[in-house]
Amino acid sequence: MNYRLIIKTTGTVLLVEAAALLPSIVTALLFRESPVPLLLAMAIMLAAGYPASRAKPKTSHFFARDGYVTVFLIWLVLSAFGALPLFFTGLVPSYVDCFFETVSGFTTTGATILTDIEAVPKGVLFWRSFTHFIGGMGILVLANALLPSSKDRQQHLMRAEIPGPEVGKLVPRLSDSSKILYAIYTGIMLLEVVCLLFTGMDLFNAFTTAFSTAGTGGFSAMNASIAAFNNPAAEVIIGIFMMFFGINFTVYFLILTKKFRAALASEELKFYLCVIAAVTAMITLNIMHMYPDIWESIRNAFFATSSIITTTGFVTADFDTWPQFSKTLLLLLMFIGASAGSTGGAIKCSRVLMVFKSIVREVRQIIHPNAVFVIRMDGKAVDEKTLRSVMRFFAAYMVITLISTLIICLDNVDLTTAISAVAANIGNVGPGLAAVGPTCNYAFLTWWSKILLSLCMLMGRLEIFPALVFFSPSTWRKN
Amino acid sequence: MYIIIVGGGKVGMTLAENLSADGHEITLIDTRESVLQRADDTLDIMCIPGNGASIGVLQEARVDRADLLIAVTGRDELNMLCCLTSKKLGAKNTIARIRDMEYADEIDRIKKDLDIDLVVNPEESTAMQISRLLRFPLATDIDVFYRGRIEMVAFRVEEGDMIAGSPLSTVRRKFSDIPVLFCAAEHNGVTYIPHGNSVFEKGDRLYVIGSSMSVNRFFRTLGRLTQPTRSVFLVGGGRTGYYLARILSDMNIGLKIIEIDRDKSRALAELLPKTLIVEGDGSDHELLAAEHLELSDAFVALTGRDEDNLVTSLYAKKAGVKKVVAKIDRQDYNDLVRELNIDSIVNPKSITADAILHYVRATTSSRGGHMEALYRIGSGAAEATEFTVGPGTAHMGVPLKDLNSRLKAGVLVAVIVRNGRFIIPEGGDSINEGDNVIIVSTTDEPIMDINDIFVS
Repeated sequence: MNYRLIIKTTGTVLLVEAAALLPSIVTALLFRESPVPLLLAMAIMLAAGYPASRAKPKTSHFFARDGYVTVFLIWLVLSAFGALPLFFTGLVPSYVDCFFETVSGFTTTGATILTDIEAVPKGVLFWRSFTHFIGGMGILVLANALLPSSKDRQQHLMRAEIPGPEVGKLVPRLSDSSKILYAIYTGIMLLEVVCLLFTGMDLFNAFTTAFSTAGTGGFSAMNASIAAFNNPAAEVIIGIFMMFFGINFTVYFLILTKKFRAALASEELKFYLCVIAAVTAMITLNIMHMYPDIWESIRNAFFATSSIITTTGFVTADFDTWPQFSKTLLLLLMFIGASAGSTGGAIKCSRVLMVFKSIVREVRQIIHPNAVFVIRMDGKAVDEKTLRSVMRFFAAYMVITLISTLIICLDNVDLTTAISAVAANIGNVGPGLAAVGPTCNYAFLTWWSKILLSLCMLMGRLEIFPALVFFSPSTWRKN
Repeated sequence: MYIIIVGGGKVGMTLAENLSADGHEITLIDTRESVLQRADDTLDIMCIPGNGASIGVLQEARVDRADLLIAVTGRDELNMLCCLTSKKLGAKNTIARIRDMEYADEIDRIKKDLDIDLVVNPEESTAMQISRLLRFPLATDIDVFYRGRIEMVAFRVEEGDMIAGSPLSTVRRKFSDIPVLFCAAEHNGVTYIPHGNSVFEKGDRLYVIGSSMSVNRFFRTLGRLTQPTRSVFLVGGGRTGYYLARILSDMNIGLKIIEIDRDKSRALAELLPKTLIVEGDGSDHELLAAEHLELSDAFVALTGRDEDNLVTSLYAKKAGVKKVVAKIDRQDYNDLVRELNIDSIVNPKSITADAILHYVRATTSSRGGHMEALYRIGSGAAEATEFTVGPGTAHMGVPLKDLNSRLKAGVLVAVIVRNGRFIIPEGGDSINEGDNVIIVSTTDEPIMDINDIFVS
């Protein structure tokens, strides 16, 4: 392993993180708060990051293993340092809680341990939401977009960070791809800010909400999440923008380059939109009796569906009080997740589609034992290697979910709480059901449950395998 | 005409033989000495060893005075380059064989950009021919004229048909209200033009010609019109199989392909979403049974080995498949195969050769009128040709009955198309300028020009 290069890359990312604190400091100053917790954190990041970034690697050789290990390490370090501002405010005495909160931020989960969010200073709240924005598209993608392109082989890093079964480049150069991705990402986010301002939301909340929507995170600066604004127009706008951020960003690139036909031909996009439409319809019928008029039912059903499938986790209505059928539907959505190449998490629509297609193929293969069946996405044949890795991912995701559920049960919570907590964290959703439902939080869990869930979030965000590689003993052996 | 042929494979040799017999001056270019040796021994042509895309070799073959260059080497890219280079060096016309699937959809563009006058794709033409046979299962052969609106269909006379055993004049009376013509017949390998006293036997092959509609009516009256083909079983997933699959999927006909090669099966499965691809040996009867060969309406054998195609076709026939088509590459099997109980035989080489021969004759003959189509029928001794009647045509406006002594023996004016109407000519009809005429001939000299049907 190329330790020096790993240290250098990690140090560079820390510097980027320190720079990312600047908007929060500005916010703190604007609200006439003490910027000390933020400045202190920034100083520590610079102190740790600068010497590390000066490391001189002997070679620039970087292999798949190094890439996986580096990505996981970077995300750990990022969260550990990112937890400092909240810790320095003194509102949360346990560092583990702060770490959980920050992992939740960077992985765009949105699961919180804060019982009174509004008591936290605005600057730190801004940072908390800003972690969603950074984590949504990925810190390495950001580093790649900002820093001059190096000769190091960074494909391995990007491959581990960008969600989805296949990494498609938009343009030949990686750093150009990163810039385009961030431009699209920031552009849609700013559009949402403007839309929200029109509904009468104040600038601070518009920005924090837009950061959370863009990264499909779910942190809100309000205790009651989106419901606190009591603003139906804003709810509809947020619902639609959540849906937008759950779409593969390649689609936007194709639209920007005027390839509309190719953009709309995406099978995953159709599946994603169909699932949203179908689930919204089913939940609407299921909860109709609970709300005074049909439009409110539709609005709440659509918001919850869009919020959960994109793994954002904003809340307008307490879906934990909905009938069992609706709750189970939402739990299933936590597993499906958004499109590949979006900022959403969980298994991803394209993988779910491929799993379905594999099952159909298996049945057909039994009928015609010698036939050759090819699985297609968007009319193109899917490579068997990709397919196998999708199946492995699916299996690993399920196994980890089950084992984690078992461990959470040691905390003596009920099964719904345990399963939904794990599903909501590994899928980067945020709120689960029952004791971790939309009106509750994760504060009551023991410290080791919080660490386990933090790991689940990281595994979910980085698509399982970087974490497994990181913890595998054979990675660290010399031969 | 002076014609250069590049590539002395089966098609190249067939062309050299036929074109040389038509009286053209031929030069054959090939890299293989053995091929040239054989050509030199059997044909009266010039042979040049070398790469046909090389300027030096082409100049040696005097490409600047060539009226036509035909590139039929085994490689598409070489054929294209050959045509491009020779055009630049002064060849008047070029023909290339291009058969890769990747180029299939880009042929028009390639023709235009490389200035190639005719592109032949034997596999695709064969697939078209097979698809026609499948659409019309009772036909052993189908050739089309006048932009596909006139069909010449060959079928086998069966025991107990209203045709077997009685003279043609009687048979004609039975079909008097249907405008079709019995234009050729084949008995024991000899093709002839039937007349009133000809009697057909079981096993003879008859050719009827007429508009698509009347040919359909003819077969319905004969009681031979079967259900249209809905499912096809195909052995051999080569290029022809691929083209056929594309045509059949457009026609919404179900298709199952058995292919022995793993990579090829995979590639086909990727290219053909609607087709079921089975990896396995098409001569393995157990596999054929497991895939329910007997439930298919038609069976097509397209493997690279003629022998395999014959044997699997016979097996399919025995299993009860109604329509069986086999691809046979070797011309010398023709007579043998006709004896067997296989419904139709397709020969890609002769399809290609026909296309090129037609092109050559069409560019050569401009005295009488333009040649629109050419097919060799029967065992190859007879031809069916279509001409547009031009101002140079002799005996225009003279009723056919007065022309009897002027027409060569073994020539039949089968159909006259005038202003879009089809006429089965009788004694009172005549050939006029602007007509399209279809001629069936069994003469020894080829019909190069419409005036060739008359005694000089």
